[in-house]
Amino acid sequence: MRPGESLRLSWRSIRGHKLRSSLTTLGIIIGIAAVITFVTLGASLQAGVIGDISPDDQRNSYGWAAEPGTEGGPLAGAQPVFSQNDLETLDDDEDIEAAYGYMPLSTQALVYEGEITPQSDALVAAGPPYIRENTLEEGRQFEQGEREAVINPAVAGQFEEDVSVGDELTIALQGGQQTTVTVVGITDTSEGLSPFEGFEPSPRVYVPTDPFYTEDAAGAFPGAIGDGGPGGDGSGDDANTTDTAGMSDGALFLAIVVEAESADEAAVDRAQESAIAYLESDESDASELLGDDLEITLQTSAELLQQLQDVLDLLQNFIVGIAAISLVVGSIGIANIMLVSVTERTREIGIMKAIGAQNREILGLFLAEAVILGVVGAILGTVLGLVAGYLGAWYIDLPLVYPYEYVALAVAVGILVGIASGLYPAWKAARTDPIDALRYE
Amino acid sequence: MATPASEGESSTGTAVALENVRKTYQLGEPVHALDGVSLEIPRGSYTAIMGPSGSGKSTLMNLVGCLDTPTEGTVVVDDQDVAALDSRERTTLRGTTVGFVFQTFNLMPRLTALENVALPQLFQDVSRTERHDRARELLERVGLADREDHLPNELSGGQRQRVALARALVNDPAIVLADEPSGNLDTETEADILDLFAEFHDAGTTMVVVTHERHVAERADRIVHLLDGKIERIETLDDAGDGTPSPAGSEASS
Ligand SMILES: Nc1ncnc2c1ncn2[C@@H]1O[C@H](COP(=O)(O)OP(=O)(O)O)[C@@H](O)[C@H]1O
Ligand SMILES: [Mg+2]
Repeated sequence: MRPGESLRLSWRSIRGHKLRSSLTTLGIIIGIAAVITFVTLGASLQAGVIGDISPDDQRNSYGWAAEPGTEGGPLAGAQPVFSQNDLETLDDDEDIEAAYGYMPLSTQALVYEGEITPQSDALVAAGPPYIRENTLEEGRQFEQGEREAVINPAVAGQFEEDVSVGDELTIALQGGQQTTVTVVGITDTSEGLSPFEGFEPSPRVYVPTDPFYTEDAAGAFPGAIGDGGPGGDGSGDDANTTDTAGMSDGALFLAIVVEAESADEAAVDRAQESAIAYLESDESDASELLGDDLEITLQTSAELLQQLQDVLDLLQNFIVGIAAISLVVGSIGIANIMLVSVTERTREIGIMKAIGAQNREILGLFLAEAVILGVVGAILGTVLGLVAGYLGAWYIDLPLVYPYEYVALAVAVGILVGIASGLYPAWKAARTDPIDALRYE
Repeated sequence: MATPASEGESSTGTAVALENVRKTYQLGEPVHALDGVSLEIPRGSYTAIMGPSGSGKSTLMNLVGCLDTPTEGTVVVDDQDVAALDSRERTTLRGTTVGFVFQTFNLMPRLTALENVALPQLFQDVSRTERHDRARELLERVGLADREDHLPNELSGGQRQRVALARALVNDPAIVLADEPSGNLDTETEADILDLFAEFHDAGTTMVVVTHERHVAERADRIVHLLDGKIERIETLDDAGDGTPSPAGSEASS
């Protein structure tokens, strides 16, 4: 029999049992869709993450203190332990080009020319080098001790009239006070400038730690927040507690940025070692606060993202594993339906054999049926998975990357699943004795 | 080609030849479904096989139809020794030289009348258009030209059996085997089907019809009486069709 005819005949019997065939295919659809969705999301996430490591970020190491073993990426479980004193000492270290504090601050709203937009966590206090020269689209870095700010395009475009360099922006703080800053620069991207901010684009105003954090910390910024980390909520309280405890310079930073002399790997290592050595020595304020519970993590973006990547990979493998199990369940479903189908159609098999169908033709018919179910399931599952992946990537705002090789793989898997699950039932059908089959009621 | 010695001259005169055929089923103790049957069915003949239930009629049909092989003896169909063929060759022989008509019609439930008739040619790699042309021609001959797109469950019993007959004839078989073809039909429809059999027989097809009803058997040239797996006697009728049958028992048993 010609292969085309075989497919036609198989397609007829699939259509003859619409509900049953649909339910059978559903198992494959769900399995393949789950795999494709998570692989798409994984690829998109990866593209989002990798796309954020700018080459000139290689000099910076990002540090925070948390309980050892805290999972969850940068700033997870971070406690404020870095004093102004520590930062100044590090800044003077010969292996370190610059060291400054990093502190996400709570706000209520941003006001520009009387127009108010609510904004809860747009404010980031850091040292001037945090705004790297080549990330500036316009203007310059802010300076320590000045009421200046660098904003990103998301903030600039948020108001009816675009904010430009030289304009004044008013920030409504958590406590209700307002402070006005002069915009001195605008960055070229709305994505985070460091792993501390996360990689998704969002509106941000970057200001110098002095005066915005060191001076205003006790009064104007009682609710300094950590950026998303579980330790975030606690950090503000701790900052206050330590303030009232009368630490040397008042404000404690949640995180630090240590810039090495050059992007050279050895230089970065040296900077990290010096910083850690000092912060863990008795000379530093941090060592006192670290106690036995906390440990400092100090890593470059690449190292931090690698950690994140490892977590993502693990998660993705886990989910793909579960999806693969559902595929196995799906193939067992096909095999089961095909076995029922063979039994149910024993008489038809007998008729076909009596009028001249060869064993291999019967085998081909049933195998074709299983393969069609598998392939249709794989194609529908792939489409569904790509759509779900697209929606997911869109929802969490990632660049969409379609893993095309997986589409081909999915169809191949569909064929394989069809063959694997259809082989035994088809073989059973082919072996049917026509005399018995014709007697079968 | 191993033609049995009993077959003297030109083999083309015989559609089916059985020699000393024995079929034994082992069910604890052996059951002889057929117990030494020798029979020749000439080409173009019309043979009826009669006998009580369990006498071995269906077993005989399965052997002649190349669905089964004998435990002993030889079955020669269209000049080919069935036992000497492997199962693939047997299937091909079955597909091309034998046409079956069953008591329960045995049509494919999800195929239309036309597709059912064309199905045997599908397995012989005949092209779609050729198949359908041939099937249409046969449906017309059995009087169902206007029913070609109907599914079996949209047809009456008699119509289904006519579709089955058309299907049996589609590959131009050397012999048509009908196992109780009118067993599920009422008297009037039965007559229609038997008339069609006679028509195709007159056109040259070799017919073998199994029945346990005398009036069905009387449409044949001769009646082979089976009893307990043996041929009890062969009765030759004077005339094909409704000729007066010879008085019962006038023929010598073989
Ligand atoms: N597959 C089988 N296994 C065992 N016995 C069988 C089988 N087929 C037929 N028989 C036996 O062979 C005998 C003849 O059966 P069958 O040819 O079907 O008779 P008929 O068609 O004349 O009613 C019966 O006794 C039946 O029980
Ligand atoms: Mg019978």
